[in-house]
Amino acid sequence: MNTQEYISGGIVESYVLGLASDEERSEFEKMCTQYPEVLAARNAFELALEKQAMENAIAPAPGLKNKIFEQISSAGKVVSMDMAPVRKMNWLKYAAAACLILLAGSVYLNISLTKKNKSLENNYNTTVAELGDLKKDFQVLQQNPEVKMASMKGMEASPASFATVYWDTASQDVYLMINNMPKPASDQQYQLWAFLDGQPIDMGLIEITEKPLQLYRLKKARAAQAFAITLEKRDRSDISKPGGQVYVMGKL
Amino acid sequence: MNSRITYSEQELVALLQQRNEKAFGYLYDNYSGALYGIVNSIVTDKEIANDVLQNVFINIWRKIESYDATKGRLFTWMLNIARNASIDEVRSKGFRDSQKNQSLSETVNIPGAITGPAVDDVGLKKVLSKLKGELRVLVDMSYFQGFTHEEISKALNIPLGTVKTRIRSALTQLRTMI
Repeated sequence: MNTQEYISGGIVESYVLGLASDEERSEFEKMCTQYPEVLAARNAFELALEKQAMENAIAPAPGLKNKIFEQISSAGKVVSMDMAPVRKMNWLKYAAAACLILLAGSVYLNISLTKKNKSLENNYNTTVAELGDLKKDFQVLQQNPEVKMASMKGMEASPASFATVYWDTASQDVYLMINNMPKPASDQQYQLWAFLDGQPIDMGLIEITEKPLQLYRLKKARAAQAFAITLEKRDRSDISKPGGQVYVMGKL
Repeated sequence: MNSRITYSEQELVALLQQRNEKAFGYLYDNYSGALYGIVNSIVTDKEIANDVLQNVFINIWRKIESYDATKGRLFTWMLNIARNASIDEVRSKGFRDSQKNQSLSETVNIPGAITGPAVDDVGLKKVLSKLKGELRVLVDMSYFQGFTHEEISKALNIPLGTVKTRIRSALTQLRTMI
């Protein structure tokens, strides 16, 4: 094969400039592997073309390089450590990240506030219902002329404490309202006493609940002149006599 | 050209294939001007030409795996990406719409108009301007406007075989001119 003729036929330029057909391309590539002079001719034209293009270079827009790097960096590629970090200081990316974080925070806050709101609403509804019940109870107690009331004030052990006893003299039912008393330790509990002629009568142990203004129903009392609450140990053997400190006391 | 290091083409290709951004920066610094010259010779609007060049570099970054050194130099590969992207842009509807209000002489289908536009300015086009009349038209249509031999044959009403031999002849002349 006359390679010189092949080379001078324009195939080299046609191939390098991307103008050759697929058929011509594969034939030329085969020729390059078989004939070093064809490969050399290709190289020579490529170099001349490159040189010519380099000599006629025109500077693109100044910001273009950054724009390109922003795009390739945001394509999720591995960031190489030797890149100038300033190029990655792409405010848009940071702004987007910040927005995402803010959005996530906002969503979280929304959910937790909604939850909190819901639980507050539930609490409120329960409280309102309880208050309603309480009012009814109170009305019954207060409007009933048979009901006597004893306001028990804080004693030396707990001056701020305050509780109220409502005693229905007709039915002999005793209701206690804890207006304000400290929560006893887990091994202690309050006990209500009625006093008749200076003698304490056990009216029952009180299991303090968390609910505010709770009305406790205790043992019936046939007769009483005063009431008092003491703080007692839970495991004491004889609960018929007070052993602990008096917290509140009041006369009828 | 602010890169302090220089790479051999082999090193550069290997680093690019490892997605080394520093090497890519070097590539841009060294070749963006030459490639922009090519884009500019096909896409005359400067703003659009910059957009095309941006896509060219992103395509280089994405397609670097498909570069095969046995088939040609890296620059030749990039040059063809730039040429194809430019021709695609010129042939796209958006570009044609943007050019509607411009000179009619730039409409590509009129053979007589092809010799008209300002071809003789820079780079390859400057070289092209040294070709004689019809050969210049053929190379311009083929290389800068991306027409196939068949399309040129129809547009200029020249037999397909003649188009092929004349373009070959023009290209051969081009080699001695570069």
